[in-house]
Amino acid sequence: MEITILIFLTSGLFLGWSLGANDAANVFGTAVASRMIQFTTAAIICTVFLILGAVISGAGAAHGLGALGKLNALPGAFMAAFSAALTVYWMTKAGLPVSTTQAIVGAIIGWNLFSGSITDTSALSKIFATWVACPILGAIFGALIYKAVMLILSRSRIHLLRLDGYTRLGLILAGAFGSYSLGANNIGNVMGVFISSHPFSDFSIGNLFTITAIQQLFLLGAIAIGVGVFTYSKRVMMTVGDGIMPLTPVGAWVVVIAHSIVLFLFSSIELEHFLASNGLPTIPLIPVSSSQAVVGAVIGIGLLKGGKGIRWRVLGNIASGWVTTPIIASVVCFVMLFILQNVFNQVVYHEVRYVLSGSVLDHLEKSGIAVAELEPVKDREIVGGTHFRDAILEVKPTLTRELEDKILDVAEIYPLSIDPGKIREIEPGYLSAGQIEAVKALSGLTYDHTWQLYDALSGSSIDWKKREKSKLNKPFNKHLDEQLKYVYELFHQAEGGSMNR
Amino acid sequence: MNLKIENLSLFGKTKHIEGMIDDLMDCISNGAMKFEAGVETYLNGSDPNRCDDTVHQIRDLEVEGNRLRRAIEGQLYTDMLIPDSRGDVLSLLEDINYLLGLAEDIFLAITVENPQIGDEYREEFRLLTSTSVKSIEEVVLSARAFFRNITAVRDHLGKVSFHEEEADQIAVRLKRRIFSSDLKLENKMHLRYFVDKLDRLADEAEDVGDWLAIYTIKRSL
Repeated sequence: MEITILIFLTSGLFLGWSLGANDAANVFGTAVASRMIQFTTAAIICTVFLILGAVISGAGAAHGLGALGKLNALPGAFMAAFSAALTVYWMTKAGLPVSTTQAIVGAIIGWNLFSGSITDTSALSKIFATWVACPILGAIFGALIYKAVMLILSRSRIHLLRLDGYTRLGLILAGAFGSYSLGANNIGNVMGVFISSHPFSDFSIGNLFTITAIQQLFLLGAIAIGVGVFTYSKRVMMTVGDGIMPLTPVGAWVVVIAHSIVLFLFSSIELEHFLASNGLPTIPLIPVSSSQAVVGAVIGIGLLKGGKGIRWRVLGNIASGWVTTPIIASVVCFVMLFILQNVFNQVVYHEVRYVLSGSVLDHLEKSGIAVAELEPVKDREIVGGTHFRDAILEVKPTLTRELEDKILDVAEIYPLSIDPGKIREIEPGYLSAGQIEAVKALSGLTYDHTWQLYDALSGSSIDWKKREKSKLNKPFNKHLDEQLKYVYELFHQAEGGSMNR
Repeated sequence: MNLKIENLSLFGKTKHIEGMIDDLMDCISNGAMKFEAGVETYLNGSDPNRCDDTVHQIRDLEVEGNRLRRAIEGQLYTDMLIPDSRGDVLSLLEDINYLLGLAEDIFLAITVENPQIGDEYREEFRLLTSTSVKSIEEVVLSARAFFRNITAVRDHLGKVSFHEEEADQIAVRLKRRIFSSDLKLENKMHLRYFVDKLDRLADEAEDVGDWLAIYTIKRSL
């Protein structure tokens, strides 16, 4: 346990704090601003459910990690988290609701630029799509639900005070669920990077139950988020719930529900699987973000009422905050990485090497890619994704983006060694018995590429074999990908030995 | 024991306040009916003690109304209920309770000042009183609707205006007749004073209705 790890951990805590300060507004902003729930009450409920979500559901999904898990050196991940946190903090200070995930993706792009890695273009297009599609969907659902609720209310003749009670209960329940999923979904981003390097160990309380090290780590992160909620979230809450347009209590509830429905319908693989398995048409999955959906829902209700109450200037500020968030995060990250590397002599990234060896070319050919033109680059070990891409584009300029990504994936050198000691570290609950057996059968072997290990594993056990690409098989394949990632990381032979990510 | 069960249930407190609001509305409409009955007793020249009893009854209802209003006010504020329409609800309850206070004042003045109302004016005094009371009753109905059935508020408020106009016309007609009669000027002025007072009851009811119309618009926005 080094002191630097503790310093790095603070960046995760800072990111957690920023997340709490900004994202709590998505679940409780309208409730607090419409004075239906006191800020302190909202903060307590939010924090309690955040912690529960992070510790119970977050730790369960810890193998999926967060977006920051892509960064392969801890100091680099620290700086990316710090840059994202700083950006979100600035936006929170300005009272603007922004997407923390987009700040993180922005910071990762900064890291990619610095380390010469390739930025996934789909990440960028996802951000753009979220800016446009998410508020529109939020607005449509907000308006439709508001209209329906008002119609029902006008017919149901509920007493004003009873309605007030129902609305308050609805806001508390929706807020509690929202906080739970906020904790479960975001704790990976806040603390995921530190799973392999944290100072905690499991401990049991009187043989009753055990709190795992990861749960302790996530508890720490969740507490940081909770502190963010308590200390700094009121300003963003007021922007969301009152700044764009003053909302009635029923309107406040509709906004929270509309945003949850948008998130559920358009991002749930489980729902897609359920619909597909019942022979029903599926809803296309699109990238969605809470902050954008909430703002969209408020606008939707505003437009339904004629649009007169909407303060367009505030809305303009929010939209500009969305655009600037990833940009600021990437610039800050790039500059900070430069300082960290050159002033503090920290390794902010591990070089990724690529090679088109004979086996790689064979593998590509088997997957239907014409490899003849790639011969000039054969066996040349190239450092850095961008350099490698330039090299293959030089010899084969007509490559599509998809093929380019595929070649990069296959050619990446990722040394793996199936160390018997590490096999014992495998969590039995996470991998099936058949899967563990297949790994054991490969004990002592080494591989240069991840696909080689996949081929070996899928060849020896059906449990490791991906199913045919279809909506029905999506959840299975996604889970298998996460398991594979876990195995790759476990058996990765890190350069220098200090990092295994 | 009852109170404890109320507090334990999820919407116990809400139910309790709902009950208090209904009780307050009952007080106002009972008071208005008592007022009408009291004026009738006076016009019939019955036992003055019966009129005094009616004054006491109206006063008791008004005191009860005030107590309920304060209790509702306290609960709404301490429990932070209906934050967006709390101010409107409290103004409404205050205004509507004021109508009962006004009715009590008028009837007390009648019993104290004992105006000499001739037989030829009694029918129109009766009509004026009942029209003003109707406007109060409609305001109470619209206030009840404000809490439970907002779309019906407008219908009741339309009736309030109708009764107020009726009351105005009756008052003008009555005053013309009084002043064109052979009564002494002091008698004429004394009767005019009571005609105006009875007419004012309908005017005040209409004012409450006007504010209620605004609260209703605010709620349906």
